[in-house]
Order: sequence, then C-alpha cells, then structure tokens
Amino acid sequence: MSFNHIFSFSAIVGQDRLKLALILNAVNPRIGGVLIRGEKGTAKSTTVRALASLLPGTRMVTLPLNATEDRVAGGIDFNLAVKKGTRTLLPGLLARAHQGILYVDEVNLLDDHIVDIILDASAFGENRIEREGISFCHASDFILVGTMNPEEGELRPQLLDRFGFCVEVTSEKDLEKRILLMLRKENYDADPEGFLSEYQAENSLLSERITKAKNLLKDVGFSDSLRAFVAELCTENNVAGHRADIVIEQAAKALAAYYGKTEVELNEIKQVADFALVHRKRDPIPPLPPDNSHDHNHEPEENREETETEDQEQSPHEPEERPESSESNGDQDVNEQDQQNHGEESHVPEPEPRGENNEQTKKEVLEKIFEVGETFKVRKFTSPKDQILRRGSGKRSRSRTASRQGRYVKSTIPKGSNDIAFDATLRAAAPFQLQRKNNSKLAVILEDQDIREKIREKRIGNFLLFLVDASASMGARGRMAASKGAVMSLLLDAYQKRDKVAMVTFRKEEAFVNLPPTSSVELAGKLLEKMPVGGKTPLSSGLIKGFELLRNHLLREPESRPMAIIITDGRGNVALGDQKPFKEALGLADKMALEQRIQFIVVDSESTGAVSFGLAQKLAVHLNANYFKIEDLKINQLVDIAKGERF
Amino acid sequence: MKNRNVYPFLAIEGQEEMKLALILNIINPTLSGVLIRGEKGTAKSTAVRALAQILPAIEKIKDCPFQHDPKEKHDVCMECYRVDCRGRVIESLNGRQGSEIIMEGIKVIELPVGATEDRVVGTMDMEQALKKGEKQVEPGILAAAHRGILYVDEVNLLDDHVVDVLLDSAAMGVNTIEREGISFSHPSRFTLVGTMNPEEGELRPQLLDRFGLCVNISGISDPDARVSIMERRTHFDEDPEGFMNLWEEDSKILMEKIRQAKILFPDVTCPRPMLYEIASYCLDVGVDGHRGDIIILKTAKTLAAYEGRTQVESKDIEKAAKLALPHRVRRQPLQDIVADVSSIREKNKATGYSS
Repeated sequence: MSFNHIFSFSAIVGQDRLKLALILNAVNPRIGGVLIRGEKGTAKSTTVRALASLLPGTRMVTLPLNATEDRVAGGIDFNLAVKKGTRTLLPGLLARAHQGILYVDEVNLLDDHIVDIILDASAFGENRIEREGISFCHASDFILVGTMNPEEGELRPQLLDRFGFCVEVTSEKDLEKRILLMLRKENYDADPEGFLSEYQAENSLLSERITKAKNLLKDVGFSDSLRAFVAELCTENNVAGHRADIVIEQAAKALAAYYGKTEVELNEIKQVADFALVHRKRDPIPPLPPDNSHDHNHEPEENREETETEDQEQSPHEPEERPESSESNGDQDVNEQDQQNHGEESHVPEPEPRGENNEQTKKEVLEKIFEVGETFKVRKFTSPKDQILRRGSGKRSRSRTASRQGRYVKSTIPKGSNDIAFDATLRAAAPFQLQRKNNSKLAVILEDQDIREKIREKRIGNFLLFLVDASASMGARGRMAASKGAVMSLLLDAYQKRDKVAMVTFRKEEAFVNLPPTSSVELAGKLLEKMPVGGKTPLSSGLIKGFELLRNHLLREPESRPMAIIITDGRGNVALGDQKPFKEALGLADKMALEQRIQFIVVDSESTGAVSFGLAQKLAVHLNANYFKIEDLKINQLVDIAKGERF
Repeated sequence: MKNRNVYPFLAIEGQEEMKLALILNIINPTLSGVLIRGEKGTAKSTAVRALAQILPAIEKIKDCPFQHDPKEKHDVCMECYRVDCRGRVIESLNGRQGSEIIMEGIKVIELPVGATEDRVVGTMDMEQALKKGEKQVEPGILAAAHRGILYVDEVNLLDDHVVDVLLDSAAMGVNTIEREGISFSHPSRFTLVGTMNPEEGELRPQLLDRFGLCVNISGISDPDARVSIMERRTHFDEDPEGFMNLWEEDSKILMEKIRQAKILFPDVTCPRPMLYEIASYCLDVGVDGHRGDIIILKTAKTLAAYEGRTQVESKDIEKAAKLALPHRVRRQPLQDIVADVSSIREKNKATGYSS
C-alpha cells in the first residue's frame, strides 16, 4: 500500500513501552498480540503501522470495522463458480492474516458477530468455514493487534483476554519532546521520502536485532524458580486463568533474546509483567511491586509443585474457560478497567453535602443545591434481547432491525424484508450457472431460490427516564449527593450507550419535566448539577408525569422498550386526590405496571442502617420493578463476571 | 454547480472565524477539516455550500472514479478494475501518452445523514456482476471525496456505524473495503467539514478529534449587521444573478489570495521559540494527545502564508490555538466544549495547574 505513507518506527518520539511491547511480539508471536489503549492522538495507529514496515516478510492485514462476515471468514469464489460451476473457497482476511498480524483500529467498536469469528479462530488457531455450501478449514494463527480509546466504551472480556499484552499510552508531558515531535511531523509532511530515508539506518538496525532475537529465542532458558515467581505474581494480582503466566514467560524470553541473553532473569520479568497483567488483574487493590513479592518468595526452588504451569505452556492458544453466560449475548462493556475519570474506589461514601449548614434557619421551604456525589461505573442494565424488529440507534441493546439501516451482518433465505443481499444471492446462484446456460445476454441467471436477504444489526439506544425525588427528605444526610452521584453515573453510562434521556423531578406540590427527551446527555448532566432540593414529596404527581412522558414515547416508537429509573426514598406526602399519599402512589404504581413495555427500576435513596421504612421497596413491588439500593448499582466486577449477570 | 444559484461565500455577514477556518483548510488540506458548532440559522450550511465557488482547481485523471492525483504513485491503478484506464497508466509509465489529465475544481461531496454504509464505503457493482459475471467495485462516497471536501450536515446525528467508517478512513487516509464479496482499497484523504447544533447531542470523542479545527458560532447581535443580513438575503432571493455578479470581483481576489498562500506555504518556517510557545500552550490548557500541537503548528503556518509572511509569529499561534483547541481541551465526561481557550490557559496558569 504505497499510496499510504507510513511513518518511521524509529522516528516516533517517546512511547517506549508501546514500542517494546510491539517489538517483543515481533520477536515471539506466541505472546499473542497487543491491545493499545489510550487517549486520542497518541500515535497508537501510527506506531502499529510503522512496525509492519519494519518487519519484512510479516504480513499486516487490516480489518476494517465495516467488514462483512464473508470477507472475514471467507466464502464461495463467485468468479470461479460462475465460470466452472465449482464450489471453491475464496479465502478471507483470516486466511491472509495467517502467520502475520491482524490489525483492528478502534477494536472496541468492532461488531459482535465479527468478534465472535475472530475469537473462534484465535482460540483454535484455525478458521472453520461452514457456509454457502462450502465446508472448509484452514490454519489461521495470527498476532492480534488492536487500538482503542476507552472513552468510546470497553472491550468484551473474552476478546480482552485474547490480547497477550495491553499497553496504556498517554501523551508526552515533556516540553522538549513535544517540540521534537512537532518538528519530526513537520519534516515528514514536507518530504516524506527524504524523512524516511533519514531513519532508514536506524530502522534496519532494529530490524536486524529483531531477527537475531527471533533466532536466539529457542535457546533462551527459563528457570523453575522464575516460573514459581511468575505464578505467585499472577496469583497476587488475582488473575483468572493461566494465560497471564504463559504470556509473561513468553514475553520475558523474548526480552532476554532481544537483549542477546540466553537465560531469563528477574529483570526481564519485571519489565514485561505489567503488559500481561494490566488487563487481567481483577483486584482493585494495587498489586505489590514485583520485588516485594519476590521477598515473600525466598527459596523459590522449594515450590516445585508450581512447575505445573509448565504443562500449560504447551498450549498457549487453548481457549480459556469462557464464562458461558456472557458468550452469545456479548454486550461489550463489562468493565475490566474503570474509566479514567471516575470510580477508582468501589465503596459508597456518604459525602457530607456542603450546602447543609447554610441558611438552615429560613422558615420558608428550604431550597438547596447539593453537590453531585461520587460517580461510579454502573452495572449493566439491558432489556433482554428481543427479536422484534425495531428502529433506533444506539448501543444499549442489540436488535435486528427491519428498516434498511444498520450494519449488514449476514445473509439469510428470504423472510420478506425485500432487502436483498446481492452478494450472497450471487454466490448462491453461481454454482448453477453452467446448468442454466441460456440465451439471454446476462452472464448470471438468478432464480427465485437464489435470493438471499440481508440481516442487519443495529444497537438500539434506549430511552431512559429519570424520575428524581427532590423533596426535603432527600436532603438529609447526604442522600441527595449520593443520589445525584448515582444519576450522574447512570447518565455517563447512557452517554456511552447513546441512549436518549429525559428527566422529571418532583418536589413541593408537583412534578416538573426538567428535561424533555433528548440525546444530549450533557444537558441532563448540567441540569442535574443545578437541581435544587426542598419541599414536600408529591410522589403520585411524579409518577404520573413520568408515565405521561413514557407513554408519549411509546406512541411514537411503539416497539421501543423505555426504562424508567425512579430515585426516591418513597416518602410521598402530597396526594392528588383524597387518598393517603403513599397509598395513592401504590395504586398508581399498580396501574403503571400493566404497561409491559416499560421497565421500571427503583433506586432507594434511603440510607442503610438508619431507621428504615422500606417504602421505596414497597413501591418497587407494586411497579413490578427491579429494586436497588444506591450502592447496589455499582458494578461488582468479580460477582458480575462470574455470574454473567445482567438484567 | 456553477449555474445553480449559490449564495456567495463572501456575502456572508460576520462569522469571520468560521470563514477563516474554511479558507485555511482550502490553503492547507492537511488541516483535516472544520467542525462548525452553532445554533440554527447561523449560516453554517450556507457557508459550506458556498465554498465550492472559491475552491481552486486540481489536476485529475479524466473520469477516474477514485479522483487519483496524476502525480501519485500508480500502484493503486495497477489493482484498479478499470482495465482501459490501467492500460493508459502503463503506457504513461513507458513514457508514452498516458491518461488524459484535466484541471477540475475541488469538489464538495455531501454525506447525507441517512446514508447507508455500503454507499459510503462502496460495494459490489450489481450490473457488472449480472452482465459479465465479474466482481467489480462500485465506488462509494469516500472515493468521490478523495482530495476533496466531505461535508456532513448535522454530523452529530450520523449513524454510529457510518461514523466508524469515517474514523477508519480518516485515520489512515485509505478506505479498505472488505465486504459483500469485495476486497479492495483506495486512498481516501478528505477534508472533513461538519456542522452541528450542540443542543441535539455531542459528537463521539474519537470523531471530534478528527476535525482539525473547531469553531463555535452564534447569531449576530448587532442590529446593523442583522439588517444588512436581511437586505443581502432579500437581494439574493430577488435577483440571484445580479447579486452574485456583485460579489464576483471579491471572490476572484480571495481565490487569488488563496492561490498565493498555497504557493507560499512550503516556505513558511516556525522559529524554535514559537514551537516552545505551542507546546507550552497545549500543556497549559491540558489537551489529550499530540494532535493539538501538530494542528496548531500547521494552522499557524497556514495563517502566516495567508497573510503573505514566511515566518510564524506569536499572534498566529494565539489565533491558531483558538481554532485548534476548543474541542481538544481535556474535560470531564458530559462537560461542555469550551468556548474560550485562552481564558482557560490564563486560569490554569494562575492556579498553577497544568496537566
């Protein structure tokens, strides 16, 4: 692809860890690839592409995000089929990537069905094709290299685990380096070829060093004591499965070979361990630095039984135990890693609202604006995947779509959508062309039985209604701050999933629509920050107002499945009619629960430990809703991953 | 396009920042585009559509569906499905008469919000397949936009999967087609121009970063200017040709200025203290990644060229930062895009905060 000038590997400023990770993979493909996570504009893609030009004889296959299944896995060769009537395989990208690098830019945006194919191939080292009347199997052993910006959502856990290494990249903070970077880029833009030739010598040296290391690799020894150390390291980091152990060993060997040594030492392991652990550790507690753990591990020779890891090493591509549950449904963002901006901690604080002491004396209805409490990563809320054809755009729920939009996933025999998958139709017709030879001028005769239709897939963003209790009782003991934190967390989640949101608050005598349905989650966030609290609790009024919005939404999009998230302590004290306020609210809840299309979630803001009235819980029962305490909303990684739990 | 009535670019009242950003992108296509954010009715789309009139002409291979630059390497052509054209390229390599080269204005290609992925990327040519039993690419919008301007109105409403496609090709300058039985790639480097109304939701961070420059515009509040807008618009509606003639001369002057700037640009240099200024600007303000630095440098150089100078001055950097950084300032999720970059810098400097 010479029309695309590639930057020189040696000319890239900084990013030493990333470069090392890539070099090690080039030395030893058994490491199993690199996932590069980082903010935008940090030379992620540039570095990967530069690597390929450094390694003559290594093929780098780019998998574009819009690839269709037939081109990834391979399909029937249309040209041959038409001319000779034979069914032969036209190899796909997985065949081309064999013994090379499969590169996916923005890998977290890759469609699930393509991810599945890649997972399958990388698990078995071969690609099995059973489609379009072809049955075929070919070796497909590749290094998977992907880049992603975590702001756009996380990766599916199984896919994450497939990457041997994970590197986090950030931008250079050093002024001199930033200037150097600008200068190089400027020189490159002015005269790409001259620039590249300037670094040619350095690149060749590196290239040679990699080749030497490759040859040396098989002679590199790895002592049993180190193996025990690696095993301990992985255990300490709570790593699931044995892939990390294997990756560390292979990587340390590669590094030793790169240094020209024939025996791995502790130093190498220290340098590479993070690459293998950063995306696998399950413990929020920061790991002990490796040298400490080594002290624990004095006389490692004694730990003979640890050498069982050695057996594992024979089968580095053996599939890990996949959590069965998250398998087929595969929503992508189970959160191995917290997002940068929030949620390093996982306990619920009861932050003291700052406004608490101000103007406590006023006799009128107190109005306060509370800070937004700590935000956190929320657990998954998805409506069960349904097969009803729907419209919409977003990422929360996967759904097949009937409107001719969405990504063309695969083809099927006609089901009446009239959305013809022309390529699949042709491939279906191709083998019969010799028999159908004809007097028409067309080269291909299509018959009814050849017709295939497209199956398109699109992620449907949900409509989320936030129904927030802003009465005075919510102001007590930091409830509001925590509630705001919870809503903000849900909003952040909604933002990543491209949901539509609306917000209704109720306080004093009635409910207000603070935010009509919009895709601008930013707006909702801003409103939330400014939301005042005070007055009585018109719970019924809030429920009605919220229900109206939901019903309007359903009228416009009858197939959608909106979610209503009600944040309250349930202490309703303003009624619409003559009934007791809370009883009235429950009655309304019963009626609302009849609308099956709406999923209700009640988040109880009542703090635990205090005298509990359990009112919100009652409300949840009547609404037939999922009920959570605020702290339950947080994702509990271990539990959720283990159970594959979702809603 | 010429004979359709288009509101003249220069007749747009005010919105100098937006006009400047667009002009800079014409002079230097590697600035990789502009994002224009603003409320309804602020001449966003008018400006972009009017751009076509002042775009310079470039060399093209006649009838090439991929808009190849005749000076570009010909490897691409070797794999091209157009056999006739390929033959001519081989001829030209052998020193004989090659493909016919024409001068044609840079095109503004519009990407409709509802565009389907196959139309954007390209797909299999149905007619060829049926008639000849052969697979051929039917080029998509990304092919048409190569070396041109790709314009997306309401870019924040674009379907997610179409955005993914844009990201892919904007990052690499190459459109890789691996779909529907077709395996093909062709260069696709375009200036991405998007307009959006932030009230309808923000852009995805990754796409946001692909726009070199970003301008926030709002309605004009000066009564005289508003009157003048109305007068011009009325004049244009009543007598489009007369109105366009009125601006003809100014357009020509601008085009000439752009042409001169393009010639001058390679000679523009940026002294080291100015580079230092750029890097510290970005560090002070706090931006993600290095694209900010690179874009400021390019923008400052382009500005200098536009003003007929061969050296970057600090005022260029100040101006360039205002265009290049608003959408790159690091912010908390759900926070607004900043309006005034230099005030942030002052603030961060004052509080001693720096990233």
